[in-house]
Amino acid sequence: MTAPLITFDRVSRIYQMGATQVPALADVSLEIASGEFVAIVGPSGSGKSTMMHILGCLDRPTHGSYRLDGTAVAELDDDALARLRSRAIGFVFQSYNLLPRTSALENVATPLLYQGIGRSERRRRAGAALERLGLGDRMHHEPTELSGGQQQRVAVARALVTEPALILADEPTGNLDSHSGAEVTTLLRDLHATGRTVVLITHDVDVAATADRQIHLRDGRIAA
Amino acid sequence: MNPGELLRLALSRLRTNRLRAALTMLGVVIGVASVVALVGVGQGTTSRITNDLASLGTNLLTISPTEQDQDGSTSVSLEDADAVAELPGVAAVAPEVSTGQDVSAGDESTTTAIVGTTPDYLDVRAHTIWQGTGLTDVSVERGLRVAVLGKSTADDLGLDADAIGSEVSIGGIGFTVIGILQPKGGAGFEDPDDMILVPVATVQKYFVGGDSARSVGVSVAGDADMDTTKARITALLRERHELAATDDDDFQIFDQTQLLAAASSISGTLTLLLGGIASISLVVGGIGIMNIMLVSVRERTREIGIRKAVGARGLDILSQFLVEALTLSLLGGLLGVAVGLAVSAGIAQFAGWSFAFYPTTLIAAVLSSVLVGVVFGVWPARQAARLDPIAALRYE
Repeated sequence: MTAPLITFDRVSRIYQMGATQVPALADVSLEIASGEFVAIVGPSGSGKSTMMHILGCLDRPTHGSYRLDGTAVAELDDDALARLRSRAIGFVFQSYNLLPRTSALENVATPLLYQGIGRSERRRRAGAALERLGLGDRMHHEPTELSGGQQQRVAVARALVTEPALILADEPTGNLDSHSGAEVTTLLRDLHATGRTVVLITHDVDVAATADRQIHLRDGRIAA
Repeated sequence: MNPGELLRLALSRLRTNRLRAALTMLGVVIGVASVVALVGVGQGTTSRITNDLASLGTNLLTISPTEQDQDGSTSVSLEDADAVAELPGVAAVAPEVSTGQDVSAGDESTTTAIVGTTPDYLDVRAHTIWQGTGLTDVSVERGLRVAVLGKSTADDLGLDADAIGSEVSIGGIGFTVIGILQPKGGAGFEDPDDMILVPVATVQKYFVGGDSARSVGVSVAGDADMDTTKARITALLRERHELAATDDDDFQIFDQTQLLAAASSISGTLTLLLGGIASISLVVGGIGIMNIMLVSVRERTREIGIRKAVGARGLDILSQFLVEALTLSLLGGLLGVAVGLAVSAGIAQFAGWSFAFYPTTLIAAVLSSVLVGVVFGVWPARQAARLDPIAALRYE
């Protein structure tokens, strides 16, 4: 059995709010194997955003250790975190977070820019990713010219384009109607089917049900 | 990220907000243009003054009294001038006694400087005759009422080549015009062609009593050394004025090189001053860039968060914003040089000022615009680079 892709060992994240300390995550331990499709579910305030930030290497745990693909994340500086994100993680956000006034193609190519990949290769790979998601005819449209579902598909293409070890989807259906939402969850399932590790973070039990495994968070701890 | 990628990002960003980019650049354009124009005018003036002074001849010494009594008599006398003429190494001496008078010919009148002098004046001051003759030894000895007109004065009085032999009235006294000088032109501060030469004895007889000179021009012989001759004159005048060893000189001797040095130092200072004033507007332009970059960082907080989430490091963000600021300032600088050249060409055309361009000025102007971009761009860029990605992604 190979080492798990993600290992949380007694991870805590404590925010300092003035004089009081607010624990957002407390002693969370979990493992996610490569190729799994896992949903992290919990109501708002359960610590799932904090979980997403730490999983996504946007933040570091206060205590405990987090290993992603063999790298101990807690010890990295900001630049090393950025490099790890660039190499290993693809994000899909609730509010799409596409660059404004920038074409779908350029948006999808942006993560490759920070990997130092040349312009023509970037465009080729971004184009291919968009084609795969059925957006071949929308490449030169800007985000404002696309529907919510299309924007989210562009965001998924952006998450895929670097072939990351982990795809992290934070409420990816939250801003979409039920039809587009279903399309996106199907898309995530398809990605999982091609062997990718997908972690879906949501408060919606129905969306979570599409995953193979569910981890329930409550008050910063794993409930079940 | 390589510079090409950064430049492409910056240009595409500036294209999306052309008006803002143009207005921000305008500050730098104005700054650089005024530096280029004012320094160009300053340097042009400097080279014109030095050229004019050099054309007066570099073998000229001018003795000026430093003391003047209430009755107008000075510490240098006409006899001093005669004595100086006897010194070795002195080719010609022309004392000058001057007075301002109203002059009229027919219906035309003007006010000008009447310079009482000797025939050597033309050699010493490097004037040449255009029409008629210069002063003669006879007219000087006898104090005749004859006048040699500078070209500007002649023009003011409506006198032309055929005026030789006609009468002009100087201070109400009739003089015969015997010659008109070739115009010298140029010289920034006063017109060397606006004056009338008359025999020194005549000026003393009719206008200025006593035997004091306003100045004495000395032309040094070609084979004589300027400094040696200057020292001889100083020694002679100190002896004639019976100055004790501890007394200061009661006269000054200028040579042309000193004047040149003084004039170019004055106009050099002027150039610096003009450039300095113009640089202030360049700094203001830089503050404009900083302001707009700070606004831009604020507006694009979310974009910065997205870029960081997909793998941009602090340095990537820093260089992106810095290159944007640099692009603004460099484009502004290049445009400013063009505008500055056009404006100073215009000034030269309409105001008759001279201007000069040295490639170094232009390069320095462009480089300082780049410097402005770095200095005023680096802080906003650091702000952008230091943003926390989580907070930046949440920013509305």
